[in-house]
Amino acid sequence: METLNVEKKNLYNPVISEILKVESLTATEKRFEIALPKSAMLNHKPGQFVEVSIFGFGEAPISICSSPTRTPTFELTVRKTGRLTDKMHELKAGNALGIRGPFGNGFDIEKFKGKDILYVAGGIGLAPLKSLIDYTIDKRNDFKRIIILYGTKNPAEILFPKEIEEWKKRSDIEFYITVDRPDDKWKGNVGVITTLIPPLELDVENTIVSVVGPPIMYKFVIMSLKGKRIPDENIYLSLERRMKCGVGKCGHCQINGSYVCQEGPVYHYPRCKELEEAI
Amino acid sequence: MNDVTNSKLKKLKQYAFDKDSTLKFIEFLMQKTEVIAPQNKGQASYSYEIVKDAKDVVLDYPRTIQPLKKFFLPPVEDLLAFDLNANTYQEEKIEAKDKIFFGIHNYELEGIKRLDYSFKKGNPESNYLTRREKSMFIGISYEPDSYHFSESVGIPADKIDGFCLFFDKISNKSDYMVFVVDENGQKLIDSFGKVNEVKSKAEITAKKFQNKVKLHYNRIPQVFDHVYKSKVWDKVAERCVGCGTCNLLCATCYCFDVRDEIEINAKDGKRTRFWDGCMLNTFAEVAGGENFREKLNQRTRHRLYRKFKYITDHSGELHCIGCGRCSKYCPADISIVEIINSLIDDYTTQQKKN
Ligand SMILES: Cc1cc2nc3c(=O)[nH]c(=O)nc-3n(C[C@H](O)[C@H](O)[C@H](O)COP(=O)(O)OP(=O)(O)OC[C@H]3O[C@@H](n4cnc5c(N)ncnc54)[C@H](O)[C@@H]3O)c2cc1C
Ligand code: SF4
Ligand code: SF4
Ligand code: FES
Repeated sequence: METLNVEKKNLYNPVISEILKVESLTATEKRFEIALPKSAMLNHKPGQFVEVSIFGFGEAPISICSSPTRTPTFELTVRKTGRLTDKMHELKAGNALGIRGPFGNGFDIEKFKGKDILYVAGGIGLAPLKSLIDYTIDKRNDFKRIIILYGTKNPAEILFPKEIEEWKKRSDIEFYITVDRPDDKWKGNVGVITTLIPPLELDVENTIVSVVGPPIMYKFVIMSLKGKRIPDENIYLSLERRMKCGVGKCGHCQINGSYVCQEGPVYHYPRCKELEEAI
Repeated sequence: MNDVTNSKLKKLKQYAFDKDSTLKFIEFLMQKTEVIAPQNKGQASYSYEIVKDAKDVVLDYPRTIQPLKKFFLPPVEDLLAFDLNANTYQEEKIEAKDKIFFGIHNYELEGIKRLDYSFKKGNPESNYLTRREKSMFIGISYEPDSYHFSESVGIPADKIDGFCLFFDKISNKSDYMVFVVDENGQKLIDSFGKVNEVKSKAEITAKKFQNKVKLHYNRIPQVFDHVYKSKVWDKVAERCVGCGTCNLLCATCYCFDVRDEIEINAKDGKRTRFWDGCMLNTFAEVAGGENFREKLNQRTRHRLYRKFKYITDHSGELHCIGCGRCSKYCPADISIVEIINSLIDDYTTQQKKN
């Protein structure tokens, strides 16, 4: 029989880490700054995720929202939506948290160098994208234009207001925001995120697009990008699926034959076209 | 893989065992180590259990309800034990224990080989692989019933590589020709000592399978390249109740769920994993209520593609071993062979049109 002699690992042991800071961003989202023990580095790529673990409450995959250029700690932005994430929202600086990872495949940054970068973020999708946005800002000279499109349901759900103020101020970043449902004070764009795409003037062959948002958003954003004649090879998506292990075993995250926790969550759009279940 | 083909079989040493020497041999194995073998469990149902009395071992049985995977991937398995207050944990210590599995059908061992592949691939998982170490398998022949179709998935009666010994039944009186497949098998026979080598050129008895796939197994993945949008999925889904039995009892399914449980003292707890199945409704559901395989036709398709395409693309082997459990125990009487044959019909009609 084929040998079982391989270097095997316990894949399910979390590393107990410390929460350094908790910041409320909206009514349902908080940002956590986390340090691994002994100032260890997470060594992640933008677009990767970790499995966060709280004993008694389980685990959940959460994207790393800080850039690897800003170490040694890292950040997660978490929406309160169930057993683990509710509990996480009760935690404070000094509390402990389990971390496994980083897992998955991040953005293929080499391909982004020397190009115009277009970000399309819907809702909490800005969190995973922020890791890459900060990366491209920190290495600003490696990239040409940086254009950020961000859409949320309403103004109260806008994440990272401090960062957004900075992005707006910078002349080397083009930032556009829209909300589906404005409140009385809102003076900006109203409408879904795809309304921000047609007015853009783009050098389409040299623009790399990264899209992250709720499942429903992808189809419409892709349609708009195609309307702009952006080549498929220039598009990257980050897809969400249910995940239990993060290491390619539990089967929950599969899109056809692809394990999102291994091959994804970031996919090159031409690959998505081969996967019927992708979008 | 070290295939023992029929031409090589003739060169394997052979020993004649009667009913009594088989019983004595099991007792001999039990003195050495833990022995696991099929035993009666209720009327006409069988289960692999640790042998307490060699007389309990059943030599003639169609199949057990649960496949052998339960010894390496238990239905419920603690991963870690934690202390909520201290935020500390201890991983479950798994020992590699010597075990001999006796009376195993060849498809069942093929199922274990498929699981070995899945747990080794990518991130080799110590939980499964440690349990799996130090296992020896002694095979036995069987009479295919109306559910077995192993031959159709490339596992004919004489596929015996991976066993150390193979018991081929040669008469109704429970006489066996025992083939020595590897050196571990030879060592067992030598130290048992009570049987004589037979200078026979016997081959392993061929078997007739009533249940058959219409096309050679090499071509099944090719069929799956063309039937993603087939109506067959809808027809099967009309009858399927989504109970997940076909996943749980499958020899090669290994998907799992992980849950935390807290003790009454609100301090200690365990993180535990459970067998899960892609036929169950919430398997692919995420926050926000999105369910990526909401419909039964999608889930049925996914189950079958996992057996004949997705993993096969990497491993080069079919990940269905033809045990027939999913069909025999399906409450809606859905037969996997009928599904495959209908897909083949669909495929052939398509080919004719083109
Ligand atoms: C790669 C990836 C990155 C993600 N990044 C972020 C992020 O940066 N911030 C963030 O807030 N959320 C993120 N999520 C979503 C987050 O994982 C889920 O919201 C979280 O698992 C819900 O867990 P819970 O225990 O709080 O909810 P539960 O009480 O378990 O369930 C609430 C809902 O979440 C669904 N759900 C349960 N488990 C999972 C799971 N493992 N994966 C997906 N959905 C699940 C359930 O079906 C249910 O509808 C990400 C998901 C993935 C796959
Ligand atoms: S056992 Fe039968 S009814 Fe149950 S999920 Fe499988 S196919 Fe459907
Ligand atoms: S799919 Fe059915 S016949 Fe094939 S290995 Fe699984 S349970 Fe056995
Ligand atoms: S999350 Fe378990 S296989 Fe991907």
